[in-house]
Formats: sequence, C-alpha cells, structure tokens
Amino acid sequence: MKATLTMLKNITAFTMAVVLSIPSIAAAQSTPPNAAPTATPSAAPSSAPSGDASTGISLDELGFGKDQEQGNAEDQAILDKRSHMLKIHQILGLINTGPMLATLYTAPGGKSNARARDLHAYMGITTVSLYAATAYFAIRAPKPKGTKDKGPIRVHKALAWVHGIGMIVTPILGTMALNQRNNNEQVHGIASAHGAFAAITALSYGGAILSVSIKF
Amino acid sequence: MKNILFGAMIVVLGAVAEGRAAEWILEGSTLTYHVSHTLHETEGISHAAKGKGVCKDKKCDFLVAVPVKSFDSGDSNRDLHMMQVTKAGEFPMIAVRSSVPETLDGASFTVDMEIQFVGQKALYKQVKFARSDDGPATHLSATIPLILTDFKIERPSLLGMPVKDLAPVRIEMTWRRKDAAAK
Repeated sequence: MKATLTMLKNITAFTMAVVLSIPSIAAAQSTPPNAAPTATPSAAPSSAPSGDASTGISLDELGFGKDQEQGNAEDQAILDKRSHMLKIHQILGLINTGPMLATLYTAPGGKSNARARDLHAYMGITTVSLYAATAYFAIRAPKPKGTKDKGPIRVHKALAWVHGIGMIVTPILGTMALNQRNNNEQVHGIASAHGAFAAITALSYGGAILSVSIKF
Repeated sequence: MKNILFGAMIVVLGAVAEGRAAEWILEGSTLTYHVSHTLHETEGISHAAKGKGVCKDKKCDFLVAVPVKSFDSGDSNRDLHMMQVTKAGEFPMIAVRSSVPETLDGASFTVDMEIQFVGQKALYKQVKFARSDDGPATHLSATIPLILTDFKIERPSLLGMPVKDLAPVRIEMTWRRKDAAAK
C-alpha cells in the first residue's frame, strides 16, 4: 500500500509538472509547422483566383470585396493553431476520464482509513491537474473574428461552466472533509456536499464529452 | 434625315440585341457539400455564390465563386475545422470556370468545369447538368463528384478513420440574362 501511495505521489507530481509547463509548450507550438504555404507545380499562383484567359472573367467582376477574395497566412495560422490546440484539448479530455473515474471509485466514504483518503486525494489532484491542462487548451485556442457558436458546441460550453465550477468547488470541499476526518470528526457543514458536487461535476463532464461526440 | 434615324435605330437595336445575348448573372444558388464518414454524414450549405456569364463568338464563359467560410453545417466548430483543413485562411474562395456553346438546348447537358480550390486547380469533365427554363430565368442543377485529394486536402479523421475521399457538391442555380434582369 505504501509503495502504491509513493507511486501515486510521483504520478501526481509528474502531472503537476506537465500542467505547469503547458504554457511554454503552447507558446512553442503557436506557429504550426505547416502554417506557411507550400507551392506545388499545380498550385494556383495566388490566394485569390484571378481572371482566367479561358473565360476572361475576373473575380473582381463578381462583386466580392477584396477582404473576402484575398487570403493571408495570418488567418490560416489562427485556424491551424486553433485546430491544433483543440485536438490536444480533446485528447487530454478523454485521457482525464480515467483519473476521474478512479477518483470516484476510490471515494472512501464515511468510515475510511487515512490511506484510503490519501489515495482518493492523490487521484483527485491528478484529475484536477489534467483538467486544468485540458481547459487551458480550450480557453487559449484562438477563434477567428466574427465566429458565432452554433450547434453542439453551445451545449458543450454550457456544461463546461457546470463542471468548471465543480472542479474548483469539489476539491475545496474535499480538503475540508479530509481535514475533518483527519481530526477524527464526522464530515459536517458544507464539506458534506463534497460527494454531491463531485457527482454533478462528473456527470456534466461526461455530458460535455457526449455533446460533441453524438450527432443530435 | 430619315436615313440617319433609320441607321441610328439599327445601331441601337443591334446593341440591345447583342447586350441581351452578352451576359448572364447568377441570381440565386444553393451549394451543398456532403462529407461521409463511417460514423457521420455531414452537409454544409452556402447561398453566397456569385456568378457571371459572358457570351461571345457563339460561346459563353462562366465564372462562379463562393467563399469557403460561407458554408454552414449547423456546427460552428465543424465549420472552423473544415476551414482549417481547406486552408480557407490562405485561399478563401472557390472558383469554378466553364465554357459552353451559346446555343445550348435540351433539358440536360454536360459541361467541363475547372475548379480552383485550396490553391489547386482540377478539371472535372462531363459534369451532367439538368436545366429548366422559367421565363427569363434558367434553373440549373448538378452534382460535382468532388474528390478531396484532387485538391491535396488532408482528409479529417474521427477515431482514426478518415472521411471518404468523395465529397459530392450539389449545385442548384438560377441564372438570368442581364438585360431581362434589368426589366
């Protein structure tokens, strides 16, 4: 059991280290490797299709504004960075279902010993750390100007508010409950809501994953 | 004096007649792409295409263009991913060019179309169009069997499975002669 706890401590420390280093990872990846255009012999010469000798009609004649016709590498870099960061968000979010389920599974209940509580606490810290990393990539993913949320992403974001608050409140209540139990007290006061908050957080987290996985 | 007036009338009528045959304007359109995946079927619709046709020497040249970002699948996240995959930041427009004989009769005909998309050009031959005339308006519909890899598009994947290479684009267009539209 001691060895298990030591291993969990190491895992938690490693997760924390990964989470703390995320901003520097993201900064290094802010310019994706394929952001620059690569010309090929068959590629069209410019970003905006221009007049063609075979038709003699130019795009300008159709009445699109120059801002619509002309592309730029900056806009593409934003799209690439967004896609890249959301992909990481997706992967981390799915990975985190593991520690989250383990945290729920190891919930010690009212008559627990200190080791069981520690195990649950380390699982919780791992979950929260991975969650923070997952949230970071979603929050920091750039969005092109004028984009309005439409479709399942609105449900996903609404549920994020629920599990986001839950991920802050649940560990605080858990720490309070842990302190009370370590002082040989029964869990009381607001700390007794730890389990309910954890359940709501886990359900909304699962719902958020399903909202963007299942086609309604 | 009579001769001068008669001559002027012929010139004006000739110019009007030539003008009537000279230009077509795309009045309305619905373009729908269809992407297939083992687990998902997705459609994106755009009504933002603009087009023009110019007839000269018994041949009509057409250009139709549409902004990539105008396609709406009902899921903003998916639309932004589609824009990333199709490099819409760098290449925001899709342009389609074709030439047809001026005297094109019948309820259906085939057209060779040059599509410029994602900075690449591809020629789609013998695309079948259905046609119906409604007064001065002409309705055309067709399905372009668009192949994603023709434009070097890296196919998006879900659970390790990429979408199908064939992404047909359904076209519904209403064209009107410019002189008739001015009436």
